[in-house]
Amino acid sequence: MPTTEKTKRPIYYGWYVCAATLFIGFVAIGARNSFGVFVVPMSDEFGWNRFTISAAAALGVLINGLSQPFFGQIFDRTGGRKMILISIVVLGSATAMLALTFHILFLAFMFGIVVSMAQSGPAPSNTAALMARWFKRRRATAISINSSALSMGGMIMVPFSMFLLQATNWRVAWLALGIIVLSSLPMAYFFLRERPEDRGLYPDGDPAPLNDSTRTTRRGSVGPLEVDTWKQSFKTAPIWQMAGSYFVCGTTTFVMSVHFIPFAIEDRGVSGATAATIFGYMMFLNIFGALGAGILSDKLGGTKNLLAFAYAMRGIGYLVLLTVDSVLGLWIFASIAGFSWVATPVLTSSLTADVYGTKALGTISGITFMFHQFGGFGSVLLAGLLFDITGSYTLPFALVGALLLPAAISAFSIKERKYSSRYQSRVPTPAAGD
Amino acid sequence: MISLILAHQGDSADPEMLRWIKVQLDHIFGSGPWVVVAIMGFVILSMPLFIIVIYLMQTKRRAAVEPMNQKGQDQERVR
Repeated sequence: MPTTEKTKRPIYYGWYVCAATLFIGFVAIGARNSFGVFVVPMSDEFGWNRFTISAAAALGVLINGLSQPFFGQIFDRTGGRKMILISIVVLGSATAMLALTFHILFLAFMFGIVVSMAQSGPAPSNTAALMARWFKRRRATAISINSSALSMGGMIMVPFSMFLLQATNWRVAWLALGIIVLSSLPMAYFFLRERPEDRGLYPDGDPAPLNDSTRTTRRGSVGPLEVDTWKQSFKTAPIWQMAGSYFVCGTTTFVMSVHFIPFAIEDRGVSGATAATIFGYMMFLNIFGALGAGILSDKLGGTKNLLAFAYAMRGIGYLVLLTVDSVLGLWIFASIAGFSWVATPVLTSSLTADVYGTKALGTISGITFMFHQFGGFGSVLLAGLLFDITGSYTLPFALVGALLLPAAISAFSIKERKYSSRYQSRVPTPAAGD
Repeated sequence: MISLILAHQGDSADPEMLRWIKVQLDHIFGSGPWVVVAIMGFVILSMPLFIIVIYLMQTKRRAAVEPMNQKGQDQERVR
């Protein structure tokens, strides 16, 4: 009789790939988010004003957004493993080389261009595409774990950088961050594999299908809109519906990342510490929102409904923020918006993979992510401009908050049952729609 | 206005929030910065070690299952 040890199945290899991408994302995003820690010491040493050093960071945001589709295309064409490995080497080396900064142009080139471009390699849009190859039934859950690197990077790496800076100096701190980024290289080398077939496995660790008919009963069946190139996807409605709502996602999250604390202090009259506490609480809820969205999507289905619900909830959060004129309004907003913050990228990535397949997913995700970044950058500018004109954040927050209604409608109107591969197995012929 | 926008680096690491986080962590740990660096550094670097240990612990189970997967794939190819 076989022993218990022998009958237990090993952990599916895809989870190691997921853990590796989580760690890579964690150190890569954490190192980038730590830039704010270096602003004061570097400005003090070189006599730069805040605008000068921040321009280098702003250049980085732009370059990062613009380079995503190109890295997505490399990911699709090469499989991703080599691209991520090379990106980690460049990212870690360039981060360490920031220790040699001697001029603002060096910083602008190294951080604004090299680091920001290299970060597009292991970006969540690409690693989510990798997860989509390894998982089908538990795709959204895997993507949600992968996406939680966004929150973890800020929560752990940024405080670490602050204390490192206090214990040493900014040059040593940059060097140490570069080494930490490079420490993810062995993980990437040993665990990253492009497809389950590379290890003789099937997605989700499922057993080999017995015949062709059983294959069609799995989520892996081909949807009617599965594409070979990204151009084909942009001739169909769902990608525009998702990109449009993703644009609003960027609009409504970036504006809060930048303006929430000034709003809480100046418009609601709370202290800086309280404002930061509320913001930190909101970021903490991100992880639960992302994981919850992924698990619910896999268990219940109806990803577009969850996506629409997340946008609608965020819209209600904005409404509360603007109408409840007290610290309570801030807390309620943080509770509602915190859950939806990273839930939307998880659901969008998962739905994109379900509708368009994985062949061109890196490029498609890169392009939709670019929409997200453009929305974010535009909203930050708009909010700053309107604040200067009106002296209040009420109008800009009301404008971006109002966009969440069409975003929710746009997400809800996606014909998921008709186009998602997930539903093709249950209804072999084209479904009647939603 | 532009300086206000750029002052926040376009990322979620707001300088005001960073100061607050540092005060809170100083309050919690109460020790010198090296203690915190050592603890957090250990946490960060233990993540990949933990995953590698789990992977190595599962070697025997994997070895028992992977030939079966290979067999299934071979049968698939024959068909």
